[in-house]
Amino acid sequence: MWAQFLIGVLSLGFFYALTTLGFSLIFGVTHAFNLAHGELIVLSGYLAYGLMKAWGWAFWMTLPVCMLFLTVLLVMVHQVLKRVGEPFELNSLVITFGMALIAQNVMLFFFSADYRLIPTSGGAVFSPFRGAYVTETHLWTFALSAGATAAVFLMLHRTFLGKALRATIQEREAARLAGIHVKRMKGVAFAIGGILIGLAGPLFGRLAYLHPAGGLEATLIAVVITIFAGVGHIRSLLFGACVLAALESGAALVLGTNWRELVSALILIMLLLWKPHGLLMGRRSAPEL
Amino acid sequence: MKKKPIPSFLIFWAVILVLALWPLVTAHPQWVCRVFTMAFLYATVAMAWNLTALSGLISLGHAAYFGLGAYGAALMDHYGSGNPAVTLTTAALAAGVYGAVCAAVFRNLRGATFALVSLAAVEIPKVIADNWESVTYGSLGFVGIRPLPLVHMGRVTVDFGGDLTAQYYALLVVLLAGTWVHFKAIHSRWGWALRSIREDEQAAGVLGVPVYPVRWSVMTLSALLTGLCGGLYAHLHGFVEPPVVFSTHLSAMPLVLSILGGRFRWFGPALGALVLYPLDQLVLHPVLPAGHAAVYGLVIVASVLFFPKGLGLRKK
Repeated sequence: MWAQFLIGVLSLGFFYALTTLGFSLIFGVTHAFNLAHGELIVLSGYLAYGLMKAWGWAFWMTLPVCMLFLTVLLVMVHQVLKRVGEPFELNSLVITFGMALIAQNVMLFFFSADYRLIPTSGGAVFSPFRGAYVTETHLWTFALSAGATAAVFLMLHRTFLGKALRATIQEREAARLAGIHVKRMKGVAFAIGGILIGLAGPLFGRLAYLHPAGGLEATLIAVVITIFAGVGHIRSLLFGACVLAALESGAALVLGTNWRELVSALILIMLLLWKPHGLLMGRRSAPEL
Repeated sequence: MKKKPIPSFLIFWAVILVLALWPLVTAHPQWVCRVFTMAFLYATVAMAWNLTALSGLISLGHAAYFGLGAYGAALMDHYGSGNPAVTLTTAALAAGVYGAVCAAVFRNLRGATFALVSLAAVEIPKVIADNWESVTYGSLGFVGIRPLPLVHMGRVTVDFGGDLTAQYYALLVVLLAGTWVHFKAIHSRWGWALRSIREDEQAAGVLGVPVYPVRWSVMTLSALLTGLCGGLYAHLHGFVEPPVVFSTHLSAMPLVLSILGGRFRWFGPALGALVLYPLDQLVLHPVLPAGHAAVYGLVIVASVLFFPKGLGLRKK
């Protein structure tokens, strides 16, 4: 039983890391709070569901389409957010809240309010211990999330583009002085965020029920882990995601499945009370230094 | 000679007058009456939301108070007395207590942090209402909440439960009461205190405005009023369920209506509600039964892009 719990937590934790990665990157580079994050993930999930249902595509075939579609969508969101005035943080929060509402209604229009699940084979693929089973969904979630996280990690730490992105996250003014095109970096961050959201959506549809109002939970999870880990720290992000997954699974085990939703909300409130300046704590702009 | 523009509050009074008279003069379909009744309710919620916003905090979580009000009334009606005076008091108190606790706990949070926290604070009552099945019937919700009662005034008996026109006038009175509170929050000594806190907290404190008590009182009052509306909603509809009364849509609506009507005028949120809600329900709903509420999201996006002053989000 404990082995089964651990398998579940690991796969869920890696999935949470994938969910957070896009949000964290976008927030770190552009300082935009994307409250529509969860809705976009659910939208991507619906897209995969629709493709599988309508044309009988295999699960893996939907992934590139979802990634491409969400990248285009996120670049469009970026075009809108570029025009938002000061104070950017609060304004972006309110405007993406509006976008979340639009996305919810679009999904309601196309897919109605029914709960839907991307069908899975459900059977165990292999069992490493007695009484513990690894299903196909576990494998997909773990492999795709770990792969995407590793890819982003390598991109940030091994390539020149990653260096420029990290510089923008750490100190925007200095990055600009060093000749980094900060505006272009913002576009890049949104595009990568779109790829990651597009990848997370179909997985979300396998792990949980899709319904138009289900995005808020994913958004809260992304915000919680980002605040806990800070921006641009992939390893602590992974750690935070696994801790949150363990806490949620523990709450689901002890109290019942539905109380799980309370965990991320409570942790978010406590984190923000503890760090009232939220995510940008300790990051002063250049003129203040 | 330049023509004097019509003072815009006259438009508000004209709208109210027309709304007060037309059910008497012309024959009217009952459902139009119903839509306007709900418009009055949401207008009051919008003004309650704006009380918090006038002190400089954008809340994305007023659905928590609305839902608590609705559940407070429903629980009181089910387990206690069905007298609307009792149930509505319970509704207002349930939301007011939660609002007071939130206001006290979140007293140091501002801006984006407060908005995030208020969004998360909805989840607590929502998950409890959704899961405490022995008391709240979980996700099934409450059905069969008693409607508003008959009232005998002299020889005339008014049926607030069944007669939609009577409900219409009752809610119109609620709207006017809400407008009065909102008027006071802008044009009074207390309103000036709120304004000074919004513009510059430190300067307000130096001038002798008690920053924390004023902010706490206005947030509690806002929650009380929203809870009262939630209670009225429960009685008008006869059923409540968690995904409806705690929905994101209910948190967004007051924000949209207030911004549309103008947040810094005493009649603004009410006017916004009286225009947009009937437009949404009477014009868009028949065309687009699912997804018509996207118009609220569009209004938010457009107003942040083109009228940032309407949000009043200036950099300090």
